[in-house]
Amino acid sequence: MDWFPLLLSLRVAVLATLFTTIIGVAGAYALARWRFPGHGLVEAVASLPIVLPPTVLGYYLLVTIGRTSPIGRAWEAVTGFPLVFTWQAAVIAATIASLPYCLRTATAAIAAVDRGYEEAARVAGLHGRRLAFMVTLPLAGRGIVAGISLAFARALGDFGTTLLVAGNIPGRTQTMPIAVYDRVQAFDYATAGVLAGVLSAVAVAILLLVRRLERAAL
Amino acid sequence: MGPVRFRPVCLLLAIGVLGVVGCSGGGAGAATDDPLLVAAASDLRPAFAELGAAFEAEAGERVVFNFGSSGQLAQQIIEGAPMDLFASASVAYVERVLEAGVGDAATQATYAHGRLAMWSPAARWREWDDLEELAADDRIRTVAIANPEHAPYGLAARQALESAGVLDRIGPKLVHGENVSDAQRLAATGNADVAIVALSLALAADEAGEGDWQAVDAGLHEPLQQDLLIVASDPDRARRAARFAAFVNGEQGRAVMRRFGLSLPGETTPDEGGSGAEGPDAMGDH
Repeated sequence: MDWFPLLLSLRVAVLATLFTTIIGVAGAYALARWRFPGHGLVEAVASLPIVLPPTVLGYYLLVTIGRTSPIGRAWEAVTGFPLVFTWQAAVIAATIASLPYCLRTATAAIAAVDRGYEEAARVAGLHGRRLAFMVTLPLAGRGIVAGISLAFARALGDFGTTLLVAGNIPGRTQTMPIAVYDRVQAFDYATAGVLAGVLSAVAVAILLLVRRLERAAL
Repeated sequence: MGPVRFRPVCLLLAIGVLGVVGCSGGGAGAATDDPLLVAAASDLRPAFAELGAAFEAEAGERVVFNFGSSGQLAQQIIEGAPMDLFASASVAYVERVLEAGVGDAATQATYAHGRLAMWSPAARWREWDDLEELAADDRIRTVAIANPEHAPYGLAARQALESAGVLDRIGPKLVHGENVSDAQRLAATGNADVAIVALSLALAADEAGEGDWQAVDAGLHEPLQQDLLIVASDPDRARRAARFAAFVNGEQGRAVMRRFGLSLPGETTPDEGGSGAEGPDAMGDH
């Protein structure tokens, strides 16, 4: 049994969730608490990955970070190798694909926080980042953690977007969902079944852990 | 109070970071192994799987394969996929890769000629002798071929249907697989009644005791000239890829390819009749 696809999937999902958490929670706070021109448009664009087919998302990414794009050229100039068809490209794909799940859930959670608590905290002298980190975000914590776990699940299971921008290179970019696809193509249903079962078990275990942590302390 | 509530999130992130570090070790373990990377057309899956193992046993070098349609693989290589060797099912995609400035033109070589076959699981096989009989069978509702847009065997299947004068009749029944292996899977799972696939895949299934087949007249489509090209930019990797290419074209490689119904350069080619002493026709059908 080759464990590389599972380890790579976990690595990609963890890093993507890390980026999603940072971008998603900051974005959610901005969308929930600030009004600015183009607010609705930003919200709609950020939610696009939920609506768009993964292949379309993959196409956009290929155009954005491919070898001929400015980002792709800059990356290649610095690192000496293309960004696409690497595990880093899989992380970018998983981050983009999972971002709206965290963003939307966290936005709703933050918007639902009673403004009265924030006013009381302001009276007590809390402002800006301290107010956000000590009052607003903890009160929205349950929703934020739910969003992060959804994003993790989405990042772990991404197939179409990852396949387009990272390819199917065994030992390099072959994640668990792509390994399952590869085994089915090879008529190797036994291995495909084992891989699918292992991925499902890992996903359930991690989601149960998140739920337990959420219940224990939030 | 507030920050304390975020402890579980921090804990989760810490677990994540530890996971990444752990996984990096695993990933590095596989990467330092540094196997040869070969992008190969789907029709080669059974032959190359065997050749990869034989090459590892003989040369002590591991080869990993990325199987797909030649068009998709060519696109990935042009976009920078870090492959060492491209074994295409069509010379056209090798030339497209070269036109994009990737690969060493001096290493381009024909390693086989492919052949088409009608294939179906044994339980649903109706013993069609040719495409006309297949078209005349009203019980057939779906026929799977590889996507002709980017899979040479799909294009050849469409050409064969057109040359046989049955494309109008079978056209509405066609479903496209991602590649020729996927087309066979559609028939194997019962989602298509029959598939027009590479003879190599039909023979591999035959070896496994699955399905029946009938070779398609090679004169009905353009020759499936299968070329390979070394695409590694690193000279050392290019040398290693050349060793594998030589192995494929060597005695052992040719024996395996021949067994899977691929005609070899210097031997009988499908457009010359395809019925040499060890050619596909001589192997008999189903």
